[in-house]
Amino acid sequence: MANITKKVSWSSRADESGAPGEGTPLLNGAEPRLSRQLSGGGNIFHIGRLSTVDLEEEMTSEEDSLRGRPKEIPHNEKLLSLKYESLDYDNIENQLFLEEERRMSHMGFRCLEISRWVVCGLIGFLTGLIACFIDIAVEELAGFKYQVVKQNIENFTEVGGLSISLILWAVLNSAIVMIGSIIVAFFEPIAAGSGIPQIKCYLNGVKVPRVVRLKTLVVKVFGVICSVVGGLAVGKEGPMIHSGAVVAAGVSQGRSTSLKRDFKIFEYFRRDTEKRDFVSAGAAAGVSAAFGAPVGGVLFSLEEGASFWNQMLTWRIFFASMISTFTLNFFLSIYHNNPGDLSNPGLINFGRFETDSVAYNLYEIPLFIAMGAIGGLLGALFNVLNYWLTIFRIRYVHRPCLQVMEAMLVAAVTAAVSFTMIYFSNDCQPLGPEHTEEYPLQLFCADGEYNSMATAFFNTPERSVRSLFHNQPGTYNPLTLGLFTLTYFFLACWTYGLAVSAGVFIPSLLIGAAWGRLCGILLASITSTGSASSCIWADPGKYALIGAAAQLGGIVRMTLSLTVIMVEATGNVTYGLPIMLVLMTAKIVGDYFVEGLYDIHIKLQSVPFLHWEAPATSHWLTAREVMSSPVTCLNRIEKVGAIVDILSNTSTNHNGFPVVVEVTLGDEAPKLCGLILRSQLIVLLKHKVFVELARTRLTQRKLQLKDFRDAYPRFPPIQSIHVSQDERECMMDLTEFMNATPYTVPQETSLPRVFKLFRALGLRHLVVVDDSNRVVGLVTRKDLARYHLGKHGLEELQLAQT
Amino acid sequence: MSNPKTRLFLVLFAFNTYSIVSSDEVQLNISSLADKLGQSSSSVAASSAVSPVFKAAVDPVFSINMLSSFPEDLEITDYCSNLLHIFGERYVTYVNCLVPAARPVKVCQSCYSSYGRLRETYLNISSDQMGPSNESCRDILLRSDRLMLVPELYSNLKGLWDKSNCDNCITEGYESLTNDTLYFMNTLNHTLSCFEKYSPGNHTELCKSCKTAYSQLNELYSGMERNKTMCIDIEDAMNMTRRLWSKKFNCSFPRKETVPVIAVSSFMLFLPIIFYLSSFLHSEQKKRKLIHPKRVKSYSNINIQDKQS
Repeated sequence: MANITKKVSWSSRADESGAPGEGTPLLNGAEPRLSRQLSGGGNIFHIGRLSTVDLEEEMTSEEDSLRGRPKEIPHNEKLLSLKYESLDYDNIENQLFLEEERRMSHMGFRCLEISRWVVCGLIGFLTGLIACFIDIAVEELAGFKYQVVKQNIENFTEVGGLSISLILWAVLNSAIVMIGSIIVAFFEPIAAGSGIPQIKCYLNGVKVPRVVRLKTLVVKVFGVICSVVGGLAVGKEGPMIHSGAVVAAGVSQGRSTSLKRDFKIFEYFRRDTEKRDFVSAGAAAGVSAAFGAPVGGVLFSLEEGASFWNQMLTWRIFFASMISTFTLNFFLSIYHNNPGDLSNPGLINFGRFETDSVAYNLYEIPLFIAMGAIGGLLGALFNVLNYWLTIFRIRYVHRPCLQVMEAMLVAAVTAAVSFTMIYFSNDCQPLGPEHTEEYPLQLFCADGEYNSMATAFFNTPERSVRSLFHNQPGTYNPLTLGLFTLTYFFLACWTYGLAVSAGVFIPSLLIGAAWGRLCGILLASITSTGSASSCIWADPGKYALIGAAAQLGGIVRMTLSLTVIMVEATGNVTYGLPIMLVLMTAKIVGDYFVEGLYDIHIKLQSVPFLHWEAPATSHWLTAREVMSSPVTCLNRIEKVGAIVDILSNTSTNHNGFPVVVEVTLGDEAPKLCGLILRSQLIVLLKHKVFVELARTRLTQRKLQLKDFRDAYPRFPPIQSIHVSQDERECMMDLTEFMNATPYTVPQETSLPRVFKLFRALGLRHLVVVDDSNRVVGLVTRKDLARYHLGKHGLEELQLAQT
Repeated sequence: MSNPKTRLFLVLFAFNTYSIVSSDEVQLNISSLADKLGQSSSSVAASSAVSPVFKAAVDPVFSINMLSSFPEDLEITDYCSNLLHIFGERYVTYVNCLVPAARPVKVCQSCYSSYGRLRETYLNISSDQMGPSNESCRDILLRSDRLMLVPELYSNLKGLWDKSNCDNCITEGYESLTNDTLYFMNTLNHTLSCFEKYSPGNHTELCKSCKTAYSQLNELYSGMERNKTMCIDIEDAMNMTRRLWSKKFNCSFPRKETVPVIAVSSFMLFLPIIFYLSSFLHSEQKKRKLIHPKRVKSYSNINIQDKQS
């Protein structure tokens, strides 16, 4: 009811809008309650408009001329790219589908269920293997590199010429990073970064081009090995999640399009619905292999991705996670020469916290919360800096060779800064009895001692994190930690977003662990006079853990899954409460300033990402304003030539076409009777399913669902399908193939309602019809995603070609 | 050998006299040994620890008590008590040897023989081997009570021995130091004498002259470290020498290349600035083509952008 009145008032307003000037006072008098609402909305818009004011004014003034000549603007975050399509999560219930379902026996469904489990097991197993491969490769290669550099430094410490060691280190780093960067920049740019934003988009229902291909996986794996070995401030955990997802997408299809191999298995899973479920399992398996956190993996999939969950899917995903952790475990145990030991999971192993150091007290909780706030602040700073850097990179550093150069420079500078820090550090510590330091550097320390700064810098980041968590109190002095935090913060911020595949988890943990440990040491020194309590204060490892959680939470803003991951990775439930509090605080404080890093990058990629809810204050928008119109419709029996023309029109690259049926009487507009996708039409054209041909060749094989699946997921472009002049005159009957019952909404439906329907059902096209079922418009993902709540109220994003 | 109990208390007495000279811990152990042997009154044990003389004086009284309390077959035999006695003596000898060797650590080189003997006795006690009257002392001495004093005492010292890795420096059978160790000691002495020779004068001269000896020693040490043929004595001696070398004589490498390092790293820091500046100035900025979506014409007027003007 309210909806209708609102609509009426809006339309009256629309009538008035022809006359310039203040039309609202009139309305005010007519209906005070409503008008308040309206003017409120108007106000928001007025402010919201400021951000796009210059663009729009031009457009309205010379709208027609602009339609021909597209306007160009520099890249910014307020764009939606055209290159992203939606996934077809919604099942296409056409006649073929129903037929197949009828034919399938009870046993067939059983087998399908079993094969889902088999696929999940395989996903877990392969993901674990990949994690194992990355881990071993990094360990061996990094060990080799550090041995070489260490040898060199030792030689030159005595005879002089340490600057040569510095150059050697920098050149080694750059060379390794160059390889990693070249394969990313030139062969598969989508493999850059951690891959978590991309997987998040995929699970949200956006088809990111090439994100789950085999080539991407290969580039990702080798890229991440290169970037970690190359000494960049990166981790290998984020890419594991992407790798898991690619493995899942590949295994579940039972074939590889890149390798042109079809194993003729799992054919039923060749559609977006099934694939996406498996991809969420793969992402979970990746998390679980990376952190040894199976439950955390499941929750990660839940939190970051899938909106379509049921109990069985969750259970299967958990199965995949478990298998992945224990596969990794098993193979690492063989590598470490104690086969069969399954108790040491995870690529990053935080190590066990001993019972006396885990003790924490009620009075420490406020401290933890304060640390959470610091984490939130630092995280926000990190994100803001990275945001500006990324914009600069997108605008100016977009050529692949420039990207490779940039990555090499970062690698060289990282080495130079690390070396300088180590060189000027006076923090010497005695060597431990069991040599926990992997590559101790003596440099100018007394014999039998090592440079403590070098344990932090001259090491793979994972090991540094572990030593920050577990080394004895007194291993680092506060100055070392402070300097380390500062440099590593900027290095990590600078590194994320380069054209190398690398994650941000470990650097964040490392920064956090460093300042957390610093906090612990300072607290201990403040309270060292009180003898009774000092034993609890004195353990800096505990504060390092809390700091790491706070920093990571401040940067990526994950909540539930991150808590569980941290708890599982440390193997200590006792820390559940403090970690949760810290992450909550970090998220609240950080969200006050800026979004999470992954969301920033999703925005900068101009992805039409649908959040959980429609933006607040958008109820006054109706489907009529949201939808695209007019819609290109097809008749139920359409001429082939018309279809080919529509499909080949490059300016309107539509993917879904409402199918309409002519009403015989009068000149009424045709009514909606179904929806058909571009991919289906292409398969139909390829198989030449024309009415005339069917009549002449009675024996022709009937098209089955299998033919559509065989073409999935890379449907050929329309240009590759040859249609002769005669065939253009043929007719095509779409009745059998179209989805006869597409979801529709009336024009007056509010935006949040449309949004909810769209998001919950995973739709790709939502037809807007009028009261006599005639097609008025079509709502797609981009129509919905363009509204977002900016600083000044509701804003609208621009569509752009990227 | 009239009365085994008397003998036993003589042993105790001996323990106590020794314990005066050894550390507190040992004394504590011995007083608890007294406890174990059947003196139910703790006050007596305590007093025995304090004053052995008094203890010896009251001995006969207690031996009578003992005799009256246990039947013959549960008693400890002569053979076993003899073993126990020997064990006690050797234990004390070893402990006496250890304490003075604590700093600087010489526990392996000075006490290996006494450890060997102690170990031998313990092995005797714990072996299945039968004594002269077909008896085995293992059960009666080692595990007939909750306290299990003898194994406990022994495992303490064995723990020390293992922790100090002395096995690496001692030949099989605890006869002598290994050749490696002797060689190391020789080299060490050589170095130390060099230090001594130059230490009154200028330290720079010392650093120069003893460098060969010192680095030879260092090399030897790292070789042993790799082969895992080190014991605490060597580690400690090396640590002390290193401390002398680096801290006292200040012979570590000086930080003398500050300028080239700073120059190279600031050059590298400078590169990205050039890179970003040049790509900002020369690279063409990436532009995005805006697309205007099809919207309902009649309603586009109330759309966000076009409404307000």
